[in-house]
This record gives sequence, structure tokens and C-alpha cells, in this order.
Amino acid sequence: MEFEPKILGIACNWCTYTGADLAGTTRIQYPHNIRVARVMCSSRINPSFIFRAFELGADGVLVGGCHPGDCHYSTGNYYARRKLAVTKKILEFAGLEPERFRVEWISASEGIRYADIVKEFTEEIRALGPQTRLAVKRGVGA
Amino acid sequence: MKQIDARLREEAKRLLEAGEVEVVLAYGKGYDDRHPMPYAAKTPADTERIVFNEYCTHNMARYLMDYSPGTRIAIAVKGCDSRAVVVLIQEEKIRREDLVILGIPAAGMKDPRTDRVIDASTTSATPNPVLYDILLGGEATTSETSSYDVLGELEGMNGEERWAFWSEEMSRCIRCYACRKACPMCYCDPCFVDQAEPRWADKSPSLESNLMFHLTRFYHLAGRCIDCGECSRACPMEIPLYLFHKKVAKECEEMFGQAAGMSVEDKPVMVDFRVEDADEILL
Repeated sequence: MEFEPKILGIACNWCTYTGADLAGTTRIQYPHNIRVARVMCSSRINPSFIFRAFELGADGVLVGGCHPGDCHYSTGNYYARRKLAVTKKILEFAGLEPERFRVEWISASEGIRYADIVKEFTEEIRALGPQTRLAVKRGVGA
Repeated sequence: MKQIDARLREEAKRLLEAGEVEVVLAYGKGYDDRHPMPYAAKTPADTERIVFNEYCTHNMARYLMDYSPGTRIAIAVKGCDSRAVVVLIQEEKIRREDLVILGIPAAGMKDPRTDRVIDASTTSATPNPVLYDILLGGEATTSETSSYDVLGELEGMNGEERWAFWSEEMSRCIRCYACRKACPMCYCDPCFVDQAEPRWADKSPSLESNLMFHLTRFYHLAGRCIDCGECSRACPMEIPLYLFHKKVAKECEEMFGQAAGMSVEDKPVMVDFRVEDADEILL
């Protein structure tokens, strides 16, 4: 069976999630491999969400937030930027394929860009193949 | 070392007799010289049991939060321990005015397990306390080598090799949480790993759940780890956790321009930001 990547998207309510909505309402096609979870702000994201997603079998994680300077709460994404940068360094140093984790700033008006990024990221993950390092091996044939 | 040993006892006795403090956190006699123990002296007579030698590696800052706010505490700190005290003050977990800090310039400390000297090439890059009221002995000379040099070998590896290294190390973890117990910065109650709802990590040891615990712990110590190395010395499986903590500390220092616990005026880097932080740090 062909490998279909499973990607967790975590999108901030005010920019990226609204941007995803725009992609939908303007009928732009993008891969269904991404499952988006909405958070109120990118700084709400606990890095353990990302580790846990990989542990539960995600092949990639895409985090979306407002462009720096455009945060709905003024400064949330500045904190998020530091947190996610450290998260990335931790994945890298553990040898856990940091390219499976991506952060993008996508505004509410960037529906097309959202779709393009999802397309691009899905293809990158498809090329990398299944994520097996952190994923818990369970069940038949595991 | 002998001189510090005597002065520590002397100062502890004086502070307790004068009623300046209610408790002195220092080191006490163990079953032999190689195994001194963390010790809390509460009366002038207790101070007879206080010792200090090269095996007193414990970070006494770990015990500060066991006392209710307002308790007057004297604490014996080596270089790194004093940085731990600074971080706890920054995080408003303890108050500077409650403390009498007895600084110990500590060069030539030894790991009781291996007898190896603890210096900048392993952990503890700061031999002299950064914050103290009384300094017991002359300042030690600081080492020229960067405390991050020890990372060279791991940094030179590619992702595959690093994964081979860490997956082997992490799969040996038995989840005794000795690292957490030894750490002055691990004060969360409950710890995320003990929470049932949400359950962040499986309780039984497996490579995946061990990684879930340790990766999150590395993150929680980002910009806070003061490189005392107690986690690694406490580890019964001898997992070199200090290497990972050191790497995260190095990245934080490079990206955010501040080492942990150097001044009470600083704000911990993970609860701070600069608009100029470059987006490149995310790539």
C-alpha cells in the first residue's frame, strides 16, 4: 500500500486557522493528509504536544501562527518563536529528524500560501517516509 | 578543602547561635569520607556533623523550597549551586532576603563514583559562586576551556549517528526519576509525567515513553539548567543526561544571548522575548 503521510497541523485561531478557512472557502485544493487542531495562540503550544504527536504516530507536525508583529495578543508569537526554536534544536540533537517539524507564519489573508505550504510539506514528508523513531510500536505487524 | 571544611562549620555554628538563621543547609558525614550527605543543621550542636570535602557534589539548592517562605536559611553553595539559587530567585520561588549564602570556591571536586575530577570538560563550568554573602576561602581559578567543548563529538555526528547514540542511552532508562529528584529546577508538583489527565507519557519504561519524559524535561530546563551535572551523577544507569542539557543551554545562550542564573536581574530566557529574535532560529 502506498504511504500516506499523517500530518498534525496546529494553527492559531486568528491567522493560520482563518487562512485555512479562506483556502477552503475559495475552493483551493490541498492534500487531506493534514489534520488541523486549533489553538487560540501559537504560544499556547506546549512542546510536549509535538513530542506526543510523534509518539502517537504523526509523520510530520506543522505549526502555524501569525506573522511576528501581527499577533492578536500582541506578543504571543514572540514567545512561541523562542519555544519552538528550542523544540527544534532538541529534536535535532536527539537525532529525531527535525525536518518533520515545521513552523510557518501564515496570515488570515494567505489562503493560497497555506495550501501551497501544506502541499509542499506533505510531499517532503512523503519523500521522508514513515516516522518510526518516536512512534510507539503497537499491534499486529508492529 | 580542609580550610573550607573548618570555616563552614564555624560559620554555620555562629549563624545558628546568633539566631540569624533557623537552618543551615550543608553537607553532613556519611558512612565514609567518599559519601557525604546533604545535611540540614538546626541547632549549634548539629553543626559538629557538617563536613566539606571533594566529594560534596550535591546541589543543596534542591532543598530550598522544602521550607516555607519566611524561614531564614543559610545555604552552602558551590559555583553552579549559586546559579541555581539565582534561578530560583528569578522565578520567585525563594526570596533573597530569607537567605544567607555561604559561597564555596570549588575547584577539584570529584565524582564519588568514578573519582574523576569535575571541571569544565565535564560539568560545573563555574567554580566560583556568582552570588554569596560570605565567601569561605580564596577564589578558585577559572578554567580557560569552554564548558561546551565536551559537546564536540556529538555535534560532529550526523542525525543517524546521534539517534543511534541517544536511542541506546535512553532505552536504558529505568524511570526511577533520580535525575528529577536531584535537580534543583525540577520543582513542579505534580510533575507532568505523574499526571493522569492528560497523560503525557506512559509510566512503564520503553524507548518511546522514556524519550517523551526526557525530551520534555530537556525542554523544561531550557534556559534554566545551570550545569551542575547532578542529574547524571544521580543516574543509576549512568546516562549522560548532562550532555543534552548542556547542548540546550548552549543553544539558548547562542540564540538569546544569556546564560542561566548569572544575575538576579536577568529574566529567564523562555519567559522573555526580543522583537529582534531572528526568524532564522526556527529553520
